[in-house]
Amino acid sequence: MTRRIAILAVALLMVSLAWAQAPATPPTPAPEPAAATPTAPGAAPAAAPAPPPVMITDQDIKNVPPPSADARAKGDPDGSLTGTVSDVVVSDSKKGLTIGDLVNQAGQNRVAINFVWTLITGFLVMFMQAGFAIVETGLCRAKNANHTMMMNFMVYGVGMLAFWLIGFAIQMGGVGALGTLGGTPVLGGEYAITLFGKSFGLWGQNGLFLMHKGTYDVAVMVMFLFQMVFMDTALTIVTGTVAERWKYAAFMVSSFVMGAFTYPLFANWAWGGGWLANLGGNFNLGHGYADFAGSGVVHSVGGITALAMGILLGPRLGKYNRDGKANVILGHDIVLVLLGCFILAFGWFGFNPGSTLAASGNGALRISSVAVNTMLAGMTGSFGAMLYMWLRYGKPDASMSGNGLLAGLVAITAPSGFVNPVGSAIIGLIAGVLVCVSVEFVDRVLKVDDPVGAVSVHGTNGLWGVISVGLFADGKSNYGGSWNGVNGNVTGLFYGDAGQLVAQLIGVCTLVGFVFTFSFVVNWIIDLCVGQRVAAKAELEGLDMPEMGALGYPEFELKASAARM
Amino acid sequence: MAIAGLIVTLLGFIISVASLGMSSSVSGRMVIVLVGLVVSLVGIIGLINPAYQKKAAWRK
Repeated sequence: MTRRIAILAVALLMVSLAWAQAPATPPTPAPEPAAATPTAPGAAPAAAPAPPPVMITDQDIKNVPPPSADARAKGDPDGSLTGTVSDVVVSDSKKGLTIGDLVNQAGQNRVAINFVWTLITGFLVMFMQAGFAIVETGLCRAKNANHTMMMNFMVYGVGMLAFWLIGFAIQMGGVGALGTLGGTPVLGGEYAITLFGKSFGLWGQNGLFLMHKGTYDVAVMVMFLFQMVFMDTALTIVTGTVAERWKYAAFMVSSFVMGAFTYPLFANWAWGGGWLANLGGNFNLGHGYADFAGSGVVHSVGGITALAMGILLGPRLGKYNRDGKANVILGHDIVLVLLGCFILAFGWFGFNPGSTLAASGNGALRISSVAVNTMLAGMTGSFGAMLYMWLRYGKPDASMSGNGLLAGLVAITAPSGFVNPVGSAIIGLIAGVLVCVSVEFVDRVLKVDDPVGAVSVHGTNGLWGVISVGLFADGKSNYGGSWNGVNGNVTGLFYGDAGQLVAQLIGVCTLVGFVFTFSFVVNWIIDLCVGQRVAAKAELEGLDMPEMGALGYPEFELKASAARM
Repeated sequence: MAIAGLIVTLLGFIISVASLGMSSSVSGRMVIVLVGLVVSLVGIIGLINPAYQKKAAWRK
């Protein structure tokens, strides 16, 4: 009986599968071959004659009826009467609407879409400052809450001042015409030297104060806002590593120098038409150094500067015993930490998709792909870190899960515009594990005290993100036909272009070899001049009173003291 | 020691840039760039950091 039922079930399954695969409509018969003129074997069939062009005149446009006044008077609940011919701007009211008006409107619409997209994504990136502030403050002790928040608050202003005065000109002053933002050519003053017979762009020269050499320009303003918030992200990374022991005055000076020189120099080389971007055109290395949204430019510059600062300032008191064993110094609010991670993940939708600087034309519809890649890498990053900690220590550590999310997002920042969803998931997963291993290495082997794990999240995974472009870029993205002036699509080693990986590795060497040295020397000089580290007494007391003059949580502090916490 | 570390770190960067003129093949450049990366890491991890660890407060 059971056997009969099984045979019947199999027969039904086969019938249903055959039915499902059958075409829904009967196949149409093949068309009769036309009695065309014979063609030579192998020759392409003759193309159908093109229809004659239809001439559109100004009169045709004038005949397009606008919505009637009666209809408009009733309102427009379904939106069909809004955005019609009556909304096209007319240049000469006596002539009325012309084809020229329509063409100008179309051009302005494209640039307007790109302006609005870039500005709004820039606003999202600006909000990431809030995420960084509460992540770092949550991972520090309550006695330093005011000081840590204040550094994260003022780094926004200090960085912006430096970037407006000097940094923007160095970074973007020689980038050339901003294609997606209207093609304004005023940022065209790159200082370059000749090396190996090729031009090596070193820094830009136009754009000081946003007034210099015609840079008082609407497209330049969009570019400045977007690049400014990116620069500030790099600066705020450093405040995490040297939290709880950095002298506030030294922080101000160091952040100004980083916003004016350190960040803009590398950003010029990568994004401003500098020598790294031209490794493809000059030396046939793929498309040159490709960093879509800044794993290297933003995160590695911040993370590597943080490493230099961590070595220079030394660890917090109590972090290491005399035998070198590391102690865990817990933060005071894991709720703030994870909330901050969510805010950062939200802001990353501005960081990566906004880096197209466009939502219309030039392949900019890949913003959807960039956004999804960003989500996926963040997800696999948090899974990677959580599972690593769970397997290694028996519990799914909350702060490291948050760092795993951020590590995945940092790593996908460079490749987000060039890889497919599977590639982004793999990149994020590796980043999630890598951040845990790196935190252990920095803490136990290097003995560099990093309260928030910024060196590992941003430095290590920023470098991993840069390298991953050279491995996983699938050659499918096309932003207007070329990247860094090299025709075709960015393609990594796994898809056939080893030269791209070499360009990425030269970028990594520049970050590790040049940016580290530059940051270290600059901050060493600042240390000699004003001193970077607070006095031991102030550090033990907590920096809120000695440095800021007020406690972050005055009542909480009293309770904590009573409980001897 | 720290200054020697800084020189070595910068030297790694210079080696990687020099790869552009020293070789025209992708594999040759890759090898030289990787050598430059290792040199820079030796400068940071092997020289600068130990120099500062020697005088770290927790040792006293």
